[in-house]
Amino acid sequence: MSLIAQVQAPTVDFRGLSPLIALVVGANVVLLAGLLRGAGVQRVLVPLLAAVTLIVAGALSVAIWETGDVEPLVQSALAMDTLTLSMSLLFYLAGLATIALSLRSSAVGEAGAGEYYTLLLASISGMVVLAAAENLITLFVGLELLSIPLYVLCGSAVRERASLESGLKYLVIGSVGSATVLYGLALIYGATGQTDLGRIAAAIGEQVEVGDPLLLTGIALTASGLAFKASVAPFHQWTPDVYQGAPTPITAFMAVATKTAAFAVFLRLFDAALSTNQVEWGPALAALALATILIGNVGAIGQRSLKRLLAWSGVAQAGYLLAGVVVGTRLGLQATAFYLATYLVMNMAAFAVVIASERVSERGDDISSVEGLGARSPVLAWPLTIAMLGLAGFPATAGFMGKFYLIDAAVDGQYAWLGVTIVVGSMISLVYYLRVVAAMWMAPDAPPLAGPVRRMSPASGGSPEADPRAQPETVAVALVCAALTIAIGIFPSPLFDLAVQVGTSISGI
Amino acid sequence: MLGSYLPALVFLALGLVVGGVLTVLNGIIGPKRPGTVKEQPYECGLPSEVTSNFRFGISFYLIAMLFILFDIEVVFLYPVAVQLEAFGLFALIEIMVFIFLLFVAFVFVWRRGALEWR
Amino acid sequence: MSPVWFVALSAVIFCIGVGGVLMRRNPLVVLLCLELMLNGGNLALISFARMHGTGDGQIFALIVMVVAACEVVVGLGLIVAMYRRRLAIDVDSMSELRG
Repeated sequence: MSLIAQVQAPTVDFRGLSPLIALVVGANVVLLAGLLRGAGVQRVLVPLLAAVTLIVAGALSVAIWETGDVEPLVQSALAMDTLTLSMSLLFYLAGLATIALSLRSSAVGEAGAGEYYTLLLASISGMVVLAAAENLITLFVGLELLSIPLYVLCGSAVRERASLESGLKYLVIGSVGSATVLYGLALIYGATGQTDLGRIAAAIGEQVEVGDPLLLTGIALTASGLAFKASVAPFHQWTPDVYQGAPTPITAFMAVATKTAAFAVFLRLFDAALSTNQVEWGPALAALALATILIGNVGAIGQRSLKRLLAWSGVAQAGYLLAGVVVGTRLGLQATAFYLATYLVMNMAAFAVVIASERVSERGDDISSVEGLGARSPVLAWPLTIAMLGLAGFPATAGFMGKFYLIDAAVDGQYAWLGVTIVVGSMISLVYYLRVVAAMWMAPDAPPLAGPVRRMSPASGGSPEADPRAQPETVAVALVCAALTIAIGIFPSPLFDLAVQVGTSISGI
Repeated sequence: MLGSYLPALVFLALGLVVGGVLTVLNGIIGPKRPGTVKEQPYECGLPSEVTSNFRFGISFYLIAMLFILFDIEVVFLYPVAVQLEAFGLFALIEIMVFIFLLFVAFVFVWRRGALEWR
Repeated sequence: MSPVWFVALSAVIFCIGVGGVLMRRNPLVVLLCLELMLNGGNLALISFARMHGTGDGQIFALIVMVVAACEVVVGLGLIVAMYRRRLAIDVDSMSELRG
């Protein structure tokens, strides 16, 4: 066949690829280190190596930081621009927090430390590839490299029925999402004849009409497949079940990092490749955002399990984030990147406290497990309070700034009604966020349960350690993230400046 | 171009028709005298000792899954092999890296004892 | 024969896969249907590669094959793990997580 005769070896920019190479090398080293015997290796060396890998990758990402629409690497397969690098830094931070939260998790012991942390690193490298994807093929590879390790991690507490169930559920639903994305990408490729996002953008309006049915079907299928990953309604039903069943450190990682990766690819695909079609997909995504905000906030109201509550709240937050994609402007890109950073610190603070309290409470992650927490251990109650107020969007927290930025972008992009929806959604969300705060500070200390207890979610329970000082790393994650939530809320300008730099990464909008 | 497939198609159609007609005729006009011996799955040899709820050991699944994984990875070698001259030394180094990564996976599987038959 | 027919066939295969995932209860059959969905995508990619005369779609299809194998292996691994723990492997009876 003549069609692939004119192939040449690609030019590879190893400097640009260095964060990814560091991640892959680190994943392999961690895997082999996990084979060594000895409790010290499993408990100390392996997590340490994983953390070092993430720190090295982060340092390399900072070293190659370059604003503007940078030249893509490897035959325009990956773009290490500010969007990729800033999102990667969020992945690394989420990964470091997850490692700290996993140190005492029973899932690590059951799955094996080497396997657990290798899968975590593999998933993070998939996220980096996904955020950097400048080509439909790398986009799909990144999506799968992100997802497949996560399916295993969800089922990693192999002694728990709930964990295995959540792994299998996530696998089935996630694979449906991936296959839908694949078919959508195939149709986009069929309509434009290109796999490069840049060339697709050039082809739309030139070789192929903006309203081409094949292209529009492809965009619709791709958007719904990505909506599965980002838990955007009506593709969100798996979220509470999987979040509840998975080991809690993994739930925290999924809630934060997977969502960030999904939105990074939303931004790149829709703002860079399909921006000429914004009039076509804008209203459809806006309708999804509206539905997601309402369904997520209403669904969270009746929840008693904190993990399910945070899952529904994550659905609602995905709706807010989608507003930044809908407008398809530079301001929307900046606002989404800014909100993703604030979302990371607020959610990590909340999950760290949930982990700390469910390890000591016989009630698992039920809301009654935090009753009286304010009197018992204020060092845990304050971070959760700040996280809840931040997620609700109280002033002087990061959440307020992020929402303000998103509403600004929505109004600026002629979607003022979406801005109003964000405000309405935040008002509804006060019902359940404040219920958690009230349980901590106003309810009396819950009496010990009598008789055998059926624990709701034992997946991450380790040996009960009654004193919060017995798990300093969990408390440290909670305190640092809560402090960042306040800091960003009061001094947002450094993060604003970063968001503006991220905004320069896509030139077409 | 597709015209060259016509004889094959005719052959396929003829085969289906002849085979189908003969099978159906056999069922209609053939004599039927069922007996216990004829009901058995095999006409000769010992009766099967494997009962229907026989369960495979876990090792079968483990080895089969590992086989699928290592087997399918070879698919990445084909495109490179087709264009080996165009890629040159670059392809050699890349494939070495790829195979080394597979080797790391193999070492892991081996040391974890997944290849031992239990 | 026009590649359009292959694209139509791929759409049919994809839809059979979707229907199977939604309706079948045995997780092994669900995995099979996921494969159908992915391979529907593969057929579409190869047909489009033929239509446009570029190799990208073919390379994409090769990569999808590997990814599909990985997905199935992880799925089988989870099912075997559940089976060993004597858990019901019926997706409808997975009721630990509800609400």
